[in-house]
Amino acid sequence: MLNLIRNEWMKLWHKKATWVMVALLIAMIIGLVAITKWIDRNTETPAWEQTVSEELTIVKQQLATPGIDEETKKSLEEQQMLLQYRLDEGIAPLASNSLEGFIMDSYGMSSIITLLTVIVAAGIVASEFSQGTIKMLLARPVQRWKILTSKFLTVVAFALFLTVVAYVVSLVMGLIFYEASGGGLLEVVNGQVTEVSYWLKSIWLNVLALGDVIIIASFAFAIGTVFRSSSLAIGIAIFLMFTGSQFAFFLKNYEIVKYILFSHTFTQMETGGSFIEGMSTPFSVAVLVAYFIFFLAISYWTFTKRDVTA
Amino acid sequence: MKPIVELKNLSKTIGKKKIIDQLNLTLYPGQITGFLGPNGAGKTTTIRMMVGLMKPTTGDVIIDGLSLQSNFEAGISKMGAIVENPEMYKFMSGYKNLVHFARMHKNVTKERIDEVIRQVGMEKRIHEKVSTYSLGMRQRLGLAQALLNKPKFLILDEPTNGLDPAGIREFRTYLRKIAEEDGVSVLVSSHLLSEIELMCDRIAVIQNGKLVAIREVNETEESQYYIEAQPVDKARHILIEKGISVEDYQNGLLISVEQADIPTVVEQLVQQNILIYTVSHHRKTLEEQFLEMTGGGQIVESNSK
Repeated sequence: MLNLIRNEWMKLWHKKATWVMVALLIAMIIGLVAITKWIDRNTETPAWEQTVSEELTIVKQQLATPGIDEETKKSLEEQQMLLQYRLDEGIAPLASNSLEGFIMDSYGMSSIITLLTVIVAAGIVASEFSQGTIKMLLARPVQRWKILTSKFLTVVAFALFLTVVAYVVSLVMGLIFYEASGGGLLEVVNGQVTEVSYWLKSIWLNVLALGDVIIIASFAFAIGTVFRSSSLAIGIAIFLMFTGSQFAFFLKNYEIVKYILFSHTFTQMETGGSFIEGMSTPFSVAVLVAYFIFFLAISYWTFTKRDVTA
Repeated sequence: MKPIVELKNLSKTIGKKKIIDQLNLTLYPGQITGFLGPNGAGKTTTIRMMVGLMKPTTGDVIIDGLSLQSNFEAGISKMGAIVENPEMYKFMSGYKNLVHFARMHKNVTKERIDEVIRQVGMEKRIHEKVSTYSLGMRQRLGLAQALLNKPKFLILDEPTNGLDPAGIREFRTYLRKIAEEDGVSVLVSSHLLSEIELMCDRIAVIQNGKLVAIREVNETEESQYYIEAQPVDKARHILIEKGISVEDYQNGLLISVEQADIPTVVEQLVQQNILIYTVSHHRKTLEEQFLEMTGGGQIVESNSK
């Protein structure tokens, strides 16, 4: 199996497109820094104490409104605790134009990483068919499921590689262009406010983002394997990636929205950005895993059963 | 002799059409078998089933005693193949392609890769990208990848396509060598009948998914001689009177007699004032045999009585 993955990895890096993708990713991060620096050049940021106390007032007002449900109340109370703690202890929030803030936001590159990984995932099986090399590949003493597994693991490795590259480049850019703000990251754990490491948090967010990338990649992988056309797979996957969440938003008043892939992401569970009410983290994980298994199952089924006539 | 490859009642149905119908074929070590058939006869489908690209509807392929249905990896590991054009990864060098395929087999060393490169005569260009290769060079590379695992059984589909005359000759000699020295069994599918005739020990012909005939290439079915004589009609009349079977062929006659009888026949014709221009031993070309076997030969056979 290791040899098969080495083969796929070798083929991947012998394609110019792969190098272009990595270059593009790095260029994007550098460009992003340049643009934000340029926009920020004249903006005066108010003292953090002022912003925090303003936020605190708003939270208090919201808490005072009658008839809020238990869940909202709980999260508002937590927010109140955090903001109060900052003022009491003098711990600034992480500003986005600081080193820590920039590293924390590095997982935001995951949409670009998804795009690039989808291109690889869609083509890794389909291109063997379009080049005709599939005959050479399958007429070997290796069972088909092993070949498909090596291909999927290569896609995962590629996504991981891009995530690491993005993180490292962000770190380097952050160190060059930003200064440490000295702020801290706070969280409520068991009713207690605690300071958490932004390093760990940023890595965890990147891991979750990688999970999201792999889910979408498995979708592109399945389409590429079933239809043996990489352009179709790239097209559908990217189209759904951009329209999927809007599609889910349209259906937000219906029960079915809970079972749509695009209503869920791993990162959302951590950052709490979902617009759909009443979805617990275990439920979201279950839905994502179910889709993942489904995509892989149809890939394996078609790849191992179908006659090769290309 | 123990067979290397056995096709047992191999059938393939796609939709409602029977592409291959109860095909049985046995291949022995050291033998080069030509695999012939008109377009659409099912050659490629059969080959695809033999290399595991297609699953038979019924029946099985046995390679060196191992069934591909139940023991795929072990069975295929005894085999090397080129299926249709040798499509390689064009964006990599020939060498990297070989490394790639070598990793998919067990026990193919770096030395073996170098050995194979030497055998197919690719030392000079092996580190260049495949996209710069000519068709002939791709054929050589295709053969190289098929030989990596020292197969006991080699399937070659149109192997000389794109090779120059010297290359074809070299290729033929090489096949003969591995068949004789290493006891490799080779199945060659080709449309070039003259090529098959020079290369193969025996031919298997399929038509409409069925095995029509299997025969040795140099088998002398009956000895035939070609006689060009004038006047033809008189000569034919004399020969038929002698009880010899006669057949019109080109400008003369084909007669079925033993070599020992030739002087007598000639003497008799001369005595009757027949002018003889040519007497030669006649062997049917593979092309004629092929057309005969596949039913395209009715015109050839129509005057045979």
